[in-house]
Amino acid sequence: MWIYWPLVDAMRLSFYQWNMLPTSPQIFVGWENYQRIFALPKFWQALRNTGVYILGLLPLAVLIPLAIAIYTHDLPERWRNIYRAIIFVPMIIAPVVAAAVWRWLLDPSYGLTNQAIKGMGLDPVKFLSDPDVAIWTVIVITGWKLMGFSTLILSAANANINPTLIEAARMDGAGKWEIIRDVRLPLLSSTVLFLVVMTILLGAQWSFTYINVLTGGGPLGATTNIYYLLWDFGFSTMSVGWGSASAVILFLGFGVVAFVLFRLIDRYSFHDN
Amino acid sequence: MTTDALARPALARPATLRRISTQSGLNTAAGHLLMVLLSIFCLFPVYWMLVSSFRPANTLFETSLWPTQPSLDNYTRAIDAIPIARMLVNTLVFSAVSTVFQLLTGILAAFAFARWRFPLDKLVYTAVALTWLVPFQVVMIPNYLLIAQMGLLDSVLALILPNIAAALAIMLLAQAMRGFPREVIEAARMDGASNWRILWEVLVPNLRGTIASLAILIFISTWNEYFWPLLLSRTAENSVVQIGIQMFMTAEGNQWGPLMAASTLASLPVLVIYIVLQRQVVQSFMKSGIR
Repeated sequence: MWIYWPLVDAMRLSFYQWNMLPTSPQIFVGWENYQRIFALPKFWQALRNTGVYILGLLPLAVLIPLAIAIYTHDLPERWRNIYRAIIFVPMIIAPVVAAAVWRWLLDPSYGLTNQAIKGMGLDPVKFLSDPDVAIWTVIVITGWKLMGFSTLILSAANANINPTLIEAARMDGAGKWEIIRDVRLPLLSSTVLFLVVMTILLGAQWSFTYINVLTGGGPLGATTNIYYLLWDFGFSTMSVGWGSASAVILFLGFGVVAFVLFRLIDRYSFHDN
Repeated sequence: MTTDALARPALARPATLRRISTQSGLNTAAGHLLMVLLSIFCLFPVYWMLVSSFRPANTLFETSLWPTQPSLDNYTRAIDAIPIARMLVNTLVFSAVSTVFQLLTGILAAFAFARWRFPLDKLVYTAVALTWLVPFQVVMIPNYLLIAQMGLLDSVLALILPNIAAALAIMLLAQAMRGFPREVIEAARMDGASNWRILWEVLVPNLRGTIASLAILIFISTWNEYFWPLLLSRTAENSVVQIGIQMFMTAEGNQWGPLMAASTLASLPVLVIYIVLQRQVVQSFMKSGIR
């Protein structure tokens, strides 16, 4: 009820011009909302940024966790549990709290990070107000939150690998790296693929709160992504038609991407029997 | 010649062994170093939040790693600035009620999907599962309008309403129920138990583990929820603590001390749950990821 009906309603509203006030009329404008959105440079910028978000998040959400999972697997149990427990902490912290804390750490004049940078004799970095830096700041914070989750999933998958396979490879004279390359990585590939797909589909969405709290999409739209643009259309400019039209575009685009990715998973995932 | 050939491998072996062990010792040290750095990266912001929250205003900009003159000043100032107790209660109600309802609706729906065959059952299940993939931003405007039409803006009830059923709960429970041994259910049916009794007296007690970890997951994620409350909130009294933090940041400028105190209060329940139930929390998050 809270998903499908609104979905249909969003499609209907996307053909109207309306400012959300119950008293003002809803004017039918047909495809005009869509045309306007596609003509907007802001839309293309947001779309491009969405791509940057996804690409930037992939190493943080997949590669580093993969390395951690493989590395911690061979550690004594106590260390393994301690490291994994610590890496998981950001995951349970509320996004707003995370945003608040990072804003404090990155504060241009008093934040600890810039104090450290100044301490080393360098110029303070405007983490959130420099258009070139801001998007990466948001990406790192999003990655900070995600890392624990991916690590956990990959660790679980890694622990599920049958030890006899590793033993057999060792008997055949395979070294540590060869075991990782020839045994572990292929067996982990379906989990890795799953995380890659999750990051592509949801990565840009996860950064919403940080964009909202830390930069508001700025400076100059440098950190806006498609999800944030939607929010901006819907609730800052109070234009229901625009908001709904971009929602429909997003939904269809998202659906196509999801469909293609799930087909790819089916085709390329490596099954361990 | 023969002694030489025999001696060579004997000499070579300990040498390679030693090389490998010192090398792996170095590897371990380097690995630990990297892991410690990574752990600091993950944990430090949370630690810094705690430390800053205990620093009175005059020592806030110190860079020492612990508060030199710890005080609760920031907490009293945070309580003065926003109705944080009220917000915490709202958050608790929001999270607890959502958790209970999602479990209830989840259990009922999952039972229907797992145990009954009805026309289009696969299609309905897929439809439910796909809702999990619809980005919230896509449906937020109509949802908002609906709540507005119901006259429920700015109330805790409005926060709860869209959260009384969730695809994730239904999917996880349906999966658990499908995996439940059929013979046990058949045996109960032979004893004349109704579907209702089978569900509550056979399935639910046996799926305690799954239900408990699902409850933790729902509670924590509802507690941390931000979008939907942000849309609906008008007054601080009727909002949740996440919004309190957000209001603090925009309205009060940079009062870092009280802000960190408020953030600490908002995270404390979840952190306590994590520290006490660490294994279960981790498991519940993991199950939701691997479907």
